[in-house]
Amino acid sequence: MILRLALASLRARLLTVGMTILAIALSVALFSGVEKVRTGAKASFADTISGTDLIMGARSGSVQLLLYSVFRIGNATNNLTWESYQDIAARPETDWIVPISLGDSHRQFRVMGTTTEFFDRYKFRAGRSLILAEGAVMDDVFDTVLGADVAATLGYAIGDPIVVAHGLASFVDHDNQPFRVSGILEKTGTPVDRTVIVSLRAIEAIHVDWQNGAAIPGQSTSAQTIRQMALEPQAVTAALIGVKSRLQVFGLQRAINDYPHEPLLAILPGVALQELWQIVGIAETALIAVSGMVVVTALIGMMATIFSSLNERRREMAIFRAMGARPRVILSLLIIEAAVMAAIGALAGLGMLYLGLLIAQPAIDASFGLWLPIEPPSLRELQVVLGVVAAGAIVSVGPALRAYRMSLADGMMVRI
Amino acid sequence: MIKSVSTLLVLLSAGAVTAQGMRQLDAHEHGVGHLDIAFDGDRIAMALHVPGADITGFEYAAKSSEDRAKVNEAVARLARPLDLFSLPDAAGCSVLEASASLESEAGQAEHEEHDTDGQSSEQMGGHRGETLPGENETEDHEHEHEHEHEHEHDSHGQEPAHSEFQAQYLLECNDPTRASLITFAYFEAFPKAMELDVQVITDRGATAFEVMRDAPTLDLRELF
Repeated sequence: MILRLALASLRARLLTVGMTILAIALSVALFSGVEKVRTGAKASFADTISGTDLIMGARSGSVQLLLYSVFRIGNATNNLTWESYQDIAARPETDWIVPISLGDSHRQFRVMGTTTEFFDRYKFRAGRSLILAEGAVMDDVFDTVLGADVAATLGYAIGDPIVVAHGLASFVDHDNQPFRVSGILEKTGTPVDRTVIVSLRAIEAIHVDWQNGAAIPGQSTSAQTIRQMALEPQAVTAALIGVKSRLQVFGLQRAINDYPHEPLLAILPGVALQELWQIVGIAETALIAVSGMVVVTALIGMMATIFSSLNERRREMAIFRAMGARPRVILSLLIIEAAVMAAIGALAGLGMLYLGLLIAQPAIDASFGLWLPIEPPSLRELQVVLGVVAAGAIVSVGPALRAYRMSLADGMMVRI
Repeated sequence: MIKSVSTLLVLLSAGAVTAQGMRQLDAHEHGVGHLDIAFDGDRIAMALHVPGADITGFEYAAKSSEDRAKVNEAVARLARPLDLFSLPDAAGCSVLEASASLESEAGQAEHEEHDTDGQSSEQMGGHRGETLPGENETEDHEHEHEHEHEHEHDSHGQEPAHSEFQAQYLLECNDPTRASLITFAYFEAFPKAMELDVQVITDRGATAFEVMRDAPTLDLRELF
């Protein structure tokens, strides 16, 4: 009975009520959108590497090593010598080891030197392997495999020649050794999409005629000669390591960290990610707090409209009372109205969020490499809806109490 | 760029090693120990590294018989993992191997205790080579020994400033998934220990925790 009255009364004031609901809906969409992006970003970060027990690099910080070796964010402070790399590779605990050599670029994309084993060992999103969309993995020194975004952005196809630039954002090109696209990977949603993969020997090959960071004038070695050179790398940037038994992971980690001949660092990717979250966590909390405040603002806005509507509805309330409605009917009528508005607003907010996701999902994936899954509302989202409804009911208690106290006296005394 | 940096590095490191071995020290924070736990099948491997100050209250080389007794008692205690890190009975865990030692900064073991829990030595031999992280370092041992010697010479006449207790355990459990709630009686046994940084590896990957004295339990259930 009261609910019917409440609904009818809301319908009667469709415009103001609609605006209030819109404000609540927007705030709820923002709040759950932030939550979605946050969890999505976390998941996509965590999905970037799996199946690798340890990452080894020169000694720096674990987060830094993780960022430059896996996410291609930032640069290595030092390289790790090939000698040390082979020492660790030869240890009995080491099941497999894949070198990573960074530092060159192609247009805006990083070039990564590695071995073909990388394609078997690198796993993402709970154990998925890299798959070639076209072509084959590199066979020759001058073969490259492109990530999906590289190929798409630069419009490369199999067999196209490409030139690798020396250093990042650099002005000199290694134009005497043109590379050829031999394969293009399927999209993974990881930084591999934005990477040009070449063989470790290729990284050495492009530097054959270079000394101290500059080309030796008048000297140019033909591609054929380079193919016949040994091209043993002197250093790599980092290495992904698989350990034979999980029980030995910590032992190997300690052995690498205590390696007597070179300051090395071995990290567990999961632990380093967790450290990263602790750093990012502050910003996350701030983001949630801000979007939470937006929800609070919308609810206070609703309270304000209810307060101001009390004036218009003095008559209405008085008539209710005159017809025998008890004061608490008035009270519950106003609270129910507010709760209904909040509920419609919250649900509409979720609807807007899903609609937005549906439209923006491919664009977000393409421009940020962030895949936001469209899933049925989680428990947390339902909690948000319930929370907003409850908060709506609570903020309406103020105006409702006022109406409760005033309804009779106020409405019956007609002032002209 | 890469090339010049790397050649420089090779030169530098080669120089350092031939001259006198690289100087490096692990981080050392009193009150904070490190515990690594790896779950694999029905096996659990644990490695504990704790500053001497947390366990015995001092880090100088034990000289008085009182100090020596303290160290011996501590090492004996550390060699009984299930008394320090109690696992639920339902897990049915037993100790396959346990060893504890006190290492001073220079790296030489001062006291050692090996403990095997009712396993036949034959079986033990089988597990040793492949499982205990500490055991795997034997290959490098000769290597390291040279450096240790140099270190001793270097610091001749002066006490090593810090020491660390190290312990390695290998457990076997009937139901390791139920070993996921660990109570750290460790903090009761060693009143000076304040915190343990714990790294855990399970099928679901690696994670890290901090276990503090005032909340001495670790719940790993979400990792299984």
